Amino acid sequence: MYAAAKIELEKCIGCKLCILSCPEPNVLLYLPETKQVSVNQQRCKGCGLCVVICPKDALSVSSI
Amino acid sequence: MSEGLFRISPGFEEVMPAEYKELVADGPCGREVGVSDLGAFKELIEEHPLCAGCSAALALRLILASLPKPEDTVIVGSTGCSSLAFTQVAVHNIHSLFGNQNAVAAGLKRALRLRFPDKVKDVVVIAGDGATVDIGLDMVMQSWFRREHITTIMLDNEVYANTGGQESGMSLRGMVLHMAPLGKRFPKVALPEIAREAGCAYVAAISPAQPKRLGRVVRRAILVAREVGPTYVQIFCPCPTNFKFRPDESLQKIKQRQKEGAFQVREYVSPEAQAFLAELEGADHEE
Repeated sequence: MYAAAKIELEKCIGCKLCILSCPEPNVLLYLPETKQVSVNQQRCKGCGLCVVICPKDALSVSSI
Repeated sequence: MSEGLFRISPGFEEVMPAEYKELVADGPCGREVGVSDLGAFKELIEEHPLCAGCSAALALRLILASLPKPEDTVIVGSTGCSSLAFTQVAVHNIHSLFGNQNAVAAGLKRALRLRFPDKVKDVVVIAGDGATVDIGLDMVMQSWFRREHITTIMLDNEVYANTGGQESGMSLRGMVLHMAPLGKRFPKVALPEIAREAGCAYVAAISPAQPKRLGRVVRRAILVAREVGPTYVQIFCPCPTNFKFRPDESLQKIKQRQKEGAFQVREYVSPEAQAFLAELEGADHEE
């Protein structure tokens, strides 16, 4: 079973704390147009560090 | 060999891997990027085999994002968890024998100075605590005594993590590990203080729980090593696999240790390095 992070865009405020706490490169990308974060689930290992640090509970880890 | 480090030869556009194409189109070389720009450019590290929640991987990612000139940097690695990630790093790097990393880096820096007298080439050592404080301490200390212009970065996970959990010089006193069931009998080596006394111009102990400060520290260490003398950065990154905590607790564990006073963020700057940094950072502010 593989686990990966998922983002609820309506909650994301684009603070980028998750990007600075993720050990995996190029998983969380910042979209300057919408000022929000997107997740590349193919590259995510599902450790959950972004979930813990997110101040708005916008991220969650679930199986894919 | 600078901004054009990543280039695709004509005719090979279709067969090159997607990651390489991304690096050519959106890589950090030739751009002024730092830790706060992460997520907006293609990083110099690709999918690595380190464990989920590994804070050493996070530290490595932050270090690579804060290199002042990645195209003119050579990284010298050594055996350990970090060496598993270096095959996925798009910066020139050398894997030295276990413990030889600072000797290799010192020779490399001298050779690069002769080969490229009109260019600045940064040599950065990134090794684990076993390679730096146990097996390679001789080479590390001698490079500081000789005032070699290299940056030494230690990823301090306080254990020999990839060989099953033996105690290292950086483990805490009393720490019980898989291969040290009776607990460690002597305290953690105070390498930042030793480095300061051994002649390092800039010494810092930091953790990836403060990513922006880590980026600033690494950048300062590399810039001081260019002009003033040897520099040392120790990055505390606990290992979820060996210390048996959940992968999402890595950063909380660092903060907890900081609260208990067992780990302190600290910086020692020599007067010469202070003057150099004040001039450099003052010039940045004016721009």
